[in-house]
Amino acid sequence: MNKKIKRKVPHKLKLFVALIILSLLSRIGVSQTNNSGIIISGQVLDEFSVPLAGATILEQGTTNGVVTDFDGNFEIVVRNKSALLIVSYVGYKSGIVSVQDEKIVVKLTPDLALLDEVVLIGYGTSKKSDLTGSVSSVRMDDVQGQPTSNIGDAIQGRAAGVTVITSGQPGSNPTFRIRGTGTIGNNDPLIVVDGVLLNGGGLNQVNMKDVESLQVLKDASATAIYGSRGSNGVIIITTKRGKKGKATLDIDTFTSIQTATNVIDVLNAEQFAQFNNEMLSNGGIATNPDFSNPSLLGKGTNWLDDFFTNGKQSNVTLSYSKGSENSNMYTSLNVFDQEGIIINSAYTRYIVQFNSDTQINEKIKFGNSFKINYDIKKNGDNSIQNAILSLPTQPIFRENGNYSGSIGQPIYSGDIENPIGKSNIVENSTKGYNLQGSIFGEITFLKSFKFKSFFGVEANFWDNRTWAPAYSWDSDVSENAFLSESSNRSVSLLFDNTITYNKEFDNGSSITAVLGTSAQENEFKFLSGSIQNFISEQAQTINNGLEQPTVNGSGSEWSIFSYFARGQFDYKNKYYLTATIRRDGSSRFGEGNKYGTFPSGSFAWRVSEEKFLNESKTINDLKLRVGYGVTGNQEIGNYSFASSYNTNLYNFNNSFVTAAVPTVLPNSNVKWESQKQFNIGIDASLFNHIVDITIDGYIKNTEDMLVPQTVPVTSGYSDIFVPFINAGEIKNSGIETVVTTRNIDKEKFKWTTDFVFAYNKNEVIDINSDAPLLTGGIGLNYNLARIQPGYPINVFYGFVQDGIFQTQNDVSNWAVQTPGTNPASSTSAGDIRFKDLNSDGLINDNDRTFIGNPNPRFTYSLNNIFNIGNFDIAIFIQGVQGNDIFNANRLFTENMSVTTNQSTEVLNRWNGAGSSNNMPRAVFGDPNNNTRQSTRYIEDGSYVRLKNVNISYNVPLDAFKSKVFNALKLYVSAQNIFTITNYSGFDPEVGVNGIDNNIYPVSRTFILGATLGF
Amino acid sequence: MKRIKLIFSIFTALIASSCSESYLDKQPLDTINTENYPRTAAELITIVNGAYQPLQWPKLYNLRMWTSDIMAGNSIVGAGGGTDGIETQNMSNFVTQPDNAGVLDLWRGPWPGILMSNIVLETAPTLDIDENIKNRSMGEAYFLRANYYFILTRYFGDVPLITTPLSSDDDLFPVRKPVNEIYDLIISDLTNAIQLLPPKSSYGQQDVGRASKGAAYGTLAKVYLTLGNYQETVNMATQVEGLGYALNPNYASNFDINNENSQESIFEVQYASDGGFSFWNNENQASWASPFMGPRGSNFVGGSFGWNQPTQEFINQYEAGDSRKDVTVLYEGCPDFDGKQYQASYSLTGFNVRKFLVPLSVVSSYDNSPLNFPVLRYSDVLLMKAEALNELGQTLQAETYINMVRNRAGLDNIQSGLSKNDFRDAVLKERRIELAFEGQRWFDLIRVNNGEYGLDFLYAIGKTNVTQKHLLFPVPQIEIDRNPKLLPQNPGY
Repeated sequence: MNKKIKRKVPHKLKLFVALIILSLLSRIGVSQTNNSGIIISGQVLDEFSVPLAGATILEQGTTNGVVTDFDGNFEIVVRNKSALLIVSYVGYKSGIVSVQDEKIVVKLTPDLALLDEVVLIGYGTSKKSDLTGSVSSVRMDDVQGQPTSNIGDAIQGRAAGVTVITSGQPGSNPTFRIRGTGTIGNNDPLIVVDGVLLNGGGLNQVNMKDVESLQVLKDASATAIYGSRGSNGVIIITTKRGKKGKATLDIDTFTSIQTATNVIDVLNAEQFAQFNNEMLSNGGIATNPDFSNPSLLGKGTNWLDDFFTNGKQSNVTLSYSKGSENSNMYTSLNVFDQEGIIINSAYTRYIVQFNSDTQINEKIKFGNSFKINYDIKKNGDNSIQNAILSLPTQPIFRENGNYSGSIGQPIYSGDIENPIGKSNIVENSTKGYNLQGSIFGEITFLKSFKFKSFFGVEANFWDNRTWAPAYSWDSDVSENAFLSESSNRSVSLLFDNTITYNKEFDNGSSITAVLGTSAQENEFKFLSGSIQNFISEQAQTINNGLEQPTVNGSGSEWSIFSYFARGQFDYKNKYYLTATIRRDGSSRFGEGNKYGTFPSGSFAWRVSEEKFLNESKTINDLKLRVGYGVTGNQEIGNYSFASSYNTNLYNFNNSFVTAAVPTVLPNSNVKWESQKQFNIGIDASLFNHIVDITIDGYIKNTEDMLVPQTVPVTSGYSDIFVPFINAGEIKNSGIETVVTTRNIDKEKFKWTTDFVFAYNKNEVIDINSDAPLLTGGIGLNYNLARIQPGYPINVFYGFVQDGIFQTQNDVSNWAVQTPGTNPASSTSAGDIRFKDLNSDGLINDNDRTFIGNPNPRFTYSLNNIFNIGNFDIAIFIQGVQGNDIFNANRLFTENMSVTTNQSTEVLNRWNGAGSSNNMPRAVFGDPNNNTRQSTRYIEDGSYVRLKNVNISYNVPLDAFKSKVFNALKLYVSAQNIFTITNYSGFDPEVGVNGIDNNIYPVSRTFILGATLGF
Repeated sequence: MKRIKLIFSIFTALIASSCSESYLDKQPLDTINTENYPRTAAELITIVNGAYQPLQWPKLYNLRMWTSDIMAGNSIVGAGGGTDGIETQNMSNFVTQPDNAGVLDLWRGPWPGILMSNIVLETAPTLDIDENIKNRSMGEAYFLRANYYFILTRYFGDVPLITTPLSSDDDLFPVRKPVNEIYDLIISDLTNAIQLLPPKSSYGQQDVGRASKGAAYGTLAKVYLTLGNYQETVNMATQVEGLGYALNPNYASNFDINNENSQESIFEVQYASDGGFSFWNNENQASWASPFMGPRGSNFVGGSFGWNQPTQEFINQYEAGDSRKDVTVLYEGCPDFDGKQYQASYSLTGFNVRKFLVPLSVVSSYDNSPLNFPVLRYSDVLLMKAEALNELGQTLQAETYINMVRNRAGLDNIQSGLSKNDFRDAVLKERRIELAFEGQRWFDLIRVNNGEYGLDFLYAIGKTNVTQKHLLFPVPQIEIDRNPKLLPQNPGY
């Protein structure tokens, strides 16, 4: 069927173009003459007859030109009737018309070779067609209708090789992985917003509606210009600037409701009491007298029902802009307000953006970008896990209106403090005050040279506050109200200077060269204090506390200084060469290791410019790219090289003395991690630009990888805060494909499809140590994952479940697990049978093996966009395949060994021979250690999700007869609509390490919005 | 051309100005560089102070050292059944696995203290400072290192033997050394400490609580007793006697926050109120004993988490008229606590530990108890001497020492002329009562008759899972994962 469409459409297109030309010819007329020339007026329209504002009209062979106004109208005085007008508009094919008529209408057709958008490549721009490296551009039109406050969330699945893991927590930033997990250390890409290399500031400080363009630099030839910070990829964002033409005013607003995508089912009171009786008696402990007749207990409390709520979001952006010949400006205000899907969690954000450019004279230009952001994150002491584990036999409130606590011994009543109470009374908040600002000056000299000096500031201030009032809920007592506050500030200064040389030759060849320096430094300080027992709980400030004051404060600094150069050569639009080098010096490394050099080179060949393809109808454009480069990673903390003592206190006879304690095992030899990446790619446009394909293949080797040193605690140094050593090697290789097809392209009906596919294979080559590196710690006494040569990074490690012992005889005939004869304190029928992997007749730590891989085999997405009349419809599907999740929540929700509530999965527990070969018996104390890390908790994390459906309607303005506003768009949108997955937890999107442990789940969102243009 | 030159010179100037070497030189702002530290006596003392700190942590005396009484059968966890205490439950049921949280704590607790002791012992001799401070500091470091290794080897048997501070260039993956080599170091360290440390009586008020000559003698007595070297035990105990210690007339005074580091105290872990750090962190903690052992739901003390509930079997051991009972435990009908009546329903067994409780009327919150925790009391030394004399066949002489302890508790002298075996049983029972819940019982169980005494006792009170292997803990699984050279695992795990 596809084939049919592809063949048919080109034919129709030709007809369409012919019709336009015809219609143009028929309307061209002659205008009056006067002394100095003829006044020609006209209008420029797009292919749907919508006026194009800001199109330029130039009289051929002269410098005489004008620009269309907001309604696409223009008036130009030409010399005579034989003049020809060149009409051009970005993204459209230029039209040449003669001026036979006094009133002409020019209809432009889109330039289907859309490859020629301008992309940002760091310290400069490039035409997309000239790129030699691997760069993904996200079309902002596609993402801006999504109901999310964070542009990071919105680009999930939009760019090949860019994995985005969103978090449901209001106000939190997503996690990005570009081309897999490249290192054991920090894997976060560098984010550059309006030229400022962010340090700590997240994308939640950017208003999505302000974003003009978003690019992801992926391969080393593209990222090497960022040297030591390029290894994890670079996300470059620019915000909107005023455009030449009529002033604009836009208001966009949406409101939405949110719900949890999936809530797990827990036992009701009757089921819980039955389970608890069984667990205690199997454990040889007298059962709870209150549970003697479980059926009388009924349903009891469902804590999750009250813990989750409907979330709400509302968002308003107001922006206005203006551009003239010599200056432009863009200003916007964003107000976003969200109540989360968990009670007492909320996020509020304000952003003001102000951008302007001024051409002082022909040679000098200044400009600035300025962003102020204030946001408030609020949440109670809300633990999903505690809401799951709270007993259904306990009410939320006692009859006197107080929150309930447990009464009596925890063996019967549990010891989880009322999760609804803790969520409601405890107030945690983070207030952020953020500023990103930059100013630049640019001087053009000797025609081809440009000197640019760029000064940027990023200042992040944030205040954390925790207020926990005193409470007395039955046995759960907190005697004193507690207040803790901290004040943090992080200020970065950035100073970049570049000289750019650009020369274009008559034969279409060109040279662009950039030479520059960059200096950036950061200072971080914090001050914190806490106090308890308040005179009155109405006065919640530190000066009103009475007891146990604490005070703390500290700071740190880093700096980086770099030289860099890049040359781009284009020979007749046929051969392209890019070479980059950057030398970085960083304060984070010790004497002798401060500097690192990062070179790269890449080459592209536009095959379609060769004679043998020049006339091809099938292959309209074809470019082959190949590149290689080295980048670095310096994310190891600020002082890994230094050996130091922390100070705190001890006391003798109740008087305090200073104690100095060593902090981290020092390693003064630490140096850069370097990453070598080879990339080969094809860009093609086929069948009259109906199909665009980009394919990239890469091999990425991280060497001298900064690895947290395995420091056994026997050294006496912390085994948690450990130094980094250059000890490892990791290889990522993969393929990324983007296919865009314009399936239908009629005036009233357009249908475009984007298919994005990325495959990545991750392998640890070497960690330079006999012992594996242990990862995946979740506060238990063992680690869930490890890094070991020959395996992907962070593979899960543990025992292998081999069914359930059905009889005591089965236990006797199996390897010894927990010896003994008393079923309350030794392995018994109903316990999990673990595989004796080394066949020594004993189940112990030597019987562990690799049991799961959290790294997806591939990710994919499919985006369909329909333009039907005034309707725009986008349907976006996104999926991840082949990854395992360690569902650590089940360590608690199915442990069946302590008095907490459980998920309904435990209804399938073993309670007699043949009753289950999967879910073990309930037994207090878990003598067989059924909850040890094992295949029991490994689940397939693959999913495919209807991520977003967005329907917008451009209201025909004729209906309003009003000129108050010029455009009105109404839209409805839904996010995370449904998910197909075998995963049993709240949501399969659990974080890069694949461990689901008490994670705030993503939510399903429905929104209604409107955009108004004046 | 002039203009280009100008621009280029501005450009180079910009580069030069921002690229001075100092731009990239950033040293930590919040910590002290070890290259220049310590240099003075005061600075050396701060590291010595740091070497004491791990004793405070829940990995050792704030939790795990006293929960060993639960394993030893004096009490049950009590708190277990909800989400915490399960590791202690498993220890006391003798189903301990290598991933047990309590075992992990006990393995991890001592090493930072050993490192800091090693730093003191390495740097102090190089400093040109007051000899008294230098000697005292080194004496403290020897004493502390011996104590940390003594804890480790009693719980784990063979352990790595590290006597110098390590850097990242050193081999960080040690093998385990045989128990006798560990004891060689402990004895040599304590012998050095005896030489270097001043007696407790010479410390001013500010320094009472530091290790002293008596603490080193007393600890060495316990080391010799553990090794079955009874003559040396007697010798060391006799040395302690000569240093002016005396029993407090009232047993309760040992656990009174107004009588800390008393005349009976030889060494105790120091805790203080308002330390300025979080209760749950490892820095300068308040004491956990009171909030953890407070009867659940009683509102007697801040916290009242309900841990450590004595068994009926333990309560039954009290002789009539033993004044220690009302100090040590809470039971229905016992004297009111801080004006409040105790109810048996506060506990699964009907009993709670009383000796470490600090009333809510004195300390109003769970996280601010200043109560020190005893490591070595004079009564312990007297009982050690009694035990060792009996083993040397001097049972009659031994009676003197056990009677000193009994008389203080309001009890009559022990029946005179007991057989050696009966006297041993009597002194071990006396130790059980006198030192109850102070983390001593477990070590008595595993040392007498190479642990046979303990195995028989535990079996008799119904802990039928216990076997020879349980006399040692397994080396934590995660530590073997980090350092496979710690293999082989202790037998049976």
